[in-house]
Amino acid sequence: MIVKTLLAALVAGLIAGVFTTVAQSARVVPIILHAEEYEAKEPATEQPAATEGQQHSSLEQPATIGDILAAFSPITPAYAHEGEHEDEGGIMFGMSRFSGTLLANLVTGTGFSLLLTGISLLIGYPITLRNGVLWGACGWLAIHMLPAVGLPPELPGFPAADLHDRQIWWVATVLLSGAGLYLLVLRPEILAKIAGLAALAAPHIYGAPQPADISSPVPAVLGAEFAVAALATALASWIVLGLVSGYINDRFLKSA
Amino acid sequence: MATTTVSSVSLSLNDRITAGILALLIGSFLVFGAGLANSAVLHDTAHDVRHSYGFPCH
Repeated sequence: MIVKTLLAALVAGLIAGVFTTVAQSARVVPIILHAEEYEAKEPATEQPAATEGQQHSSLEQPATIGDILAAFSPITPAYAHEGEHEDEGGIMFGMSRFSGTLLANLVTGTGFSLLLTGISLLIGYPITLRNGVLWGACGWLAIHMLPAVGLPPELPGFPAADLHDRQIWWVATVLLSGAGLYLLVLRPEILAKIAGLAALAAPHIYGAPQPADISSPVPAVLGAEFAVAALATALASWIVLGLVSGYINDRFLKSA
Repeated sequence: MATTTVSSVSLSLNDRITAGILALLIGSFLVFGAGLANSAVLHDTAHDVRHSYGFPCH
């Protein structure tokens, strides 16, 4: 039974992941690509590994060794460079950018779906077709909308505070928002609702880490368009995830 | 398996907690890997997704 429940979450997550990839390629990904054109104009940020060969300082040795290894290796360069040094990445298994996005969406969708199922199991409140949209909307609020109040979705090339600080604030906000939504929505006690609101507000009263210098080579209009498109796309994905989860639960788990 | 539901009705409390914690652990692992992990390969593969979802990254 446990396996079946997890399997249902897996299937819902994969379906939502495919949907998300299609939804993202409609608006969000084109804006990212557009922003990268501006990002590239900024001088001396990150030199792509492809422009090697101008000077061979000792710092660049790992890349050269990596290239030689890659030439003899059946493994794709992206894979061979894993963990060698920080600046170099490349898409896993030499996939195209789109396949990378699809894979990441499948993984993320499955992750979100499992989180939703896990919470549903722990609080004993099943996801059904009827309440699936609300489950999805709450997931979106907790993981995207509320953290975005402090850390809006950023385009490549946008200024940002220290990554570690932002990730800690983000994770804390997601956890507090999730707990706050549970207290606010599912607990009848008035005290719980007040505590829920406090949990929702707390990370924003504390404040998200902000960059010292907010100047950016990427046009602001693009950033505004992106933030709205990203949040809207995420909401659509979560609603699909909630609906599909509810449908699968109703159809295959209730009367199996 | 005749009257199974996701709710507490037929899944025993113990099973429910086990499955719930298992789902949360695997789910967080996947989201962390795709969204937050500090590996260049993972970052580049999931680049557009990380930006789209507003995960704090680079």
